[in-house]
Amino acid sequence: MLILTRGIGETVTIGHNVRVTILSVKGSQIRIGIEAPKDVRVLREEIVDSGSETPAEEA
Amino acid sequence: MIVLRRTVGQAICIGDDIRIVVTKVEPNTRAHLGIEAPTSVPVHRLEIYEKIQQENCAATQGDTLAWLQGAANDA
Amino acid sequence: MTHKEQAWKAIVEIEQAETFHFPQGMVGFPDANNYVILNSGHGDIVCLQATNRAEAAFLVTPWDEKRLGKQPELTPEQLACLQSPDGNNILWLLVLNPFTDPKWVLANLRAPVAINPDTSLGMQCIQVNPQLDVHFHWMQQPGLAQQAA
Repeated sequence: MLILTRGIGETVTIGHNVRVTILSVKGSQIRIGIEAPKDVRVLREEIVDSGSETPAEEA
Repeated sequence: MIVLRRTVGQAICIGDDIRIVVTKVEPNTRAHLGIEAPTSVPVHRLEIYEKIQQENCAATQGDTLAWLQGAANDA
Repeated sequence: MTHKEQAWKAIVEIEQAETFHFPQGMVGFPDANNYVILNSGHGDIVCLQATNRAEAAFLVTPWDEKRLGKQPELTPEQLACLQSPDGNNILWLLVLNPFTDPKWVLANLRAPVAINPDTSLGMQCIQVNPQLDVHFHWMQQPGLAQQAA
């Protein structure tokens, strides 16, 4: 597993069409923004594990 | 953009074969992201990726073989 | 015939030419995954040519330990991508840019190309060290001395 450290506003590229940005770090909770093509599923892992396919999006 | 809130130990799944887990958070400062992806998928910090992309484009903007032929002729 | 057309003709004709597979392509060229090496006989500068995109043609030259020090090392992820157990026997190449600077051919020390000759796999390896120069002065543009005359 590759580990990258990113600060607020910084971005990681994954492949050529996925970008992950750290939007905020408040205490130990972070908000992550994910940009990916529309046909690519983006899910919280616990949703995937529970079998439910509803993607969770939070403001 | 999809926005998710995560804390240490929580993960995000992207597509079928990419997983991002928050391994550590430096409070109010930085997040350490563990990224699992197939070896065919490059993972980079954006700013360096764009810098190298720009340089690769500059290095290929002309006729590479013509330059090489010209250089061989000059030698 | 333009040089690009010559290159494509050469690629089509050389059936047995060794193709190197770059699973990640080159940075900015993610879909250019297969390359042949075209040698125009100019010293140790050759052309790394993608087989599916004419413009993905990179001038490359082997890493020079006398000038640059020890060869780079592969990260665990890079070792896996190249299917190299130990990082030994890797061919390291520098991408050269002859188009940006009129006086100098520039070498990108920050993102060299690694090829594993045992598996014919290759990749461009972005280095962590931010001191590595993307625009290292590799050599003067050929013919410069003659131009001055």
